[in-house]
Amino acid sequence: MHNCREVKERLTELILEGRSDSELAAELNTCAECRAEFDGVNATLRTTTRVRETAIPADSYWPGYHARLRDKLSHVQVRRRKENTEASFAPLRLCVNFLLRPVPVPLAAALVVFALLGLLAFQSTRKPAAAQSVVVHVPVAVPVVQEKLVTRVVYRDRYLPSRTSKRTGADSRAENTFAKSQMPRPDDVPTLAGFKPAADVKLTIIKGGSPNER
Amino acid sequence: MADDTELIKRAQAEDIDAFCTLAERYARRIHLLASHYCRNQQDAEDLSQEVWLKAYQALQSFRFDSSFYTWLRRITINAFLNHRRSGFFRRQGQTTAVELMPLDSETLSESSLASPENIYNKLLFESVVQALSELTPSQRLAFLLRHYEGMSYEEIANAMNCSTGTVKKGVWRAITKLRARLSTESESQEALTSLANEY
Repeated sequence: MHNCREVKERLTELILEGRSDSELAAELNTCAECRAEFDGVNATLRTTTRVRETAIPADSYWPGYHARLRDKLSHVQVRRRKENTEASFAPLRLCVNFLLRPVPVPLAAALVVFALLGLLAFQSTRKPAAAQSVVVHVPVAVPVVQEKLVTRVVYRDRYLPSRTSKRTGADSRAENTFAKSQMPRPDDVPTLAGFKPAADVKLTIIKGGSPNER
Repeated sequence: MADDTELIKRAQAEDIDAFCTLAERYARRIHLLASHYCRNQQDAEDLSQEVWLKAYQALQSFRFDSSFYTWLRRITINAFLNHRRSGFFRRQGQTTAVELMPLDSETLSESSLASPENIYNKLLFESVVQALSELTPSQRLAFLLRHYEGMSYEEIANAMNCSTGTVKKGVWRAITKLRARLSTESESQEALTSLANEY
């Protein structure tokens, strides 16, 4: 059954898409109203298509259009490069702006008061300087005692009579006299007074002496 | 002549010459939509150039998933809708079909442009723009995209972020308005022709 409303909805699409529909064409032939609708829509869209090219300006218009566009593009490019440069300094700028931003007078006054109160509180709670123990590190030169074993060679007459040998009285006296003469006098007793060890140790070993001599 | 892909890659590297070459290829199509959408030449130029500026700024995001014109058309639709929201149009009361072809001495010397038929077409175009101006911007844009760009209702609905039914209704209302306006004009076609001849 013919439905004018349905046909009118379909015919618009048909015209817009430029398709042909034999079934719809048959229906248009049977309904004058639908036919008139089809002709009207078709004429309207053909007219808009015809004047479509009229909307495009003449060729002489386009060089100026593109020159103006190029000019705007150049500005955009410059601005974009500037923004990229500024973006690299953005964190620093943010910090500076934060530090330099204006502060309301009441807020500033409150901050100053709080700072003063804090300073006073700090001063009152601080301990006296004398009570504090201060550790001072002072370098002290300590002489290093280098112990050195010093021996002194004492030559002894190997033929000096032993104190333990049994001698006669006269011999003993004679030997004692001789021994006393050989004995070093108290002044000659070797002492270490005034002895200064040499830097280099000189060791002399004399062989050929007594077998017991070390 | 370099193809679009090469030009786009050069333009992505901030080559303005390459981008201007792209603009020269597609500027007329964008301007056609803008001139139907805006009703006067200056607004149409500003809007179409804004499309190109947006395209230039967004070109880094072009991934070659679609043709350049498909991508550009999406930017165009968004620019048109945003201008609608920002109250862009300055001289809404004026229709400027004849403005599109300034009748200076240079233009008049081109006999084809100054012919009565051409002037008649200009006046018809003015009627078309006047009829479209009585629609909402969304309805107007839906009609332009359907009729001049050949987009499907689904594509338009997706691009304009609305339902397919809304788009169909908008197109239908546009056709109805145009039909009423142009039928009135056709009744006075003889008067228009005589007016064009006098012009």
